[in-house]
Amino acid sequence: MSDWKQNLQKTRYVMDALLLVSFMIVSAPQATGVPLHEWLSLLFIVPFAIHLLLHWDWITHSFKRLFSKISAKERFNTVWNYLLYLMMLLATVSGFLVSVALLPTLQIDINIQDFWSKVHHDSATLIMPMIGIHLALHWNWIVQLTKRMVSKKA
Amino acid sequence: MKYLQYQWKSRLFYVLAISILVSVMLVSLEWTSWAEQINSQGYTHGEGEGKMPSILMYILPFVKELILIGVPMLITVALAKLIGRFKKRK
Repeated sequence: MSDWKQNLQKTRYVMDALLLVSFMIVSAPQATGVPLHEWLSLLFIVPFAIHLLLHWDWITHSFKRLFSKISAKERFNTVWNYLLYLMMLLATVSGFLVSVALLPTLQIDINIQDFWSKVHHDSATLIMPMIGIHLALHWNWIVQLTKRMVSKKA
Repeated sequence: MKYLQYQWKSRLFYVLAISILVSVMLVSLEWTSWAEQINSQGYTHGEGEGKMPSILMYILPFVKELILIGVPMLITVALAKLIGRFKKRK
């Protein structure tokens, strides 16, 4: 497992695991408290950006492939990833717009609208089953990499 | 981390630029009639929180997440396997 930094698949696996754990912590404001939830959400941009950077090749090729002859599963996966990205942005942006700790600390005053409170609550809830389906679409990769990570030989 | 460091500055610039652009477009939702309607109706949530034992306050949010992520994941995995078997038989 120590060589994970030298292998792209293993690097993705470790970073994706960190992303999932950090997402679960960030998505539990009832447990962390709202101020910590807001500051952790700001930090969450780092593992999310790392996730995108580690899948750069997919990002640059996916849009073109969408219009070529590909399997239904790959087409669904591509559209789903785009939707998940949009939903993640919506939850993040709406989170900033209902901030009661982070923005006031940074001396930024905003008028919190009920609309953004609802959008933030609904998008943050909807993201969870969307992530579940995202994980399921990569289930074989997850199982394969888990075995490789646990195995001493690989 | 060599895979992460490869051309990371330019790639991160593109990721952030596109994300900020899309975010600005999403912010424009607040000028839609949908937003106006919700703002005029009002919205609250989580009134019942704070009444449960403190230990559950730390556990239940994660249980909720595990269910909301895990159940759709398992259903999709099962469906994908079923579709795979069905295609093999054909």
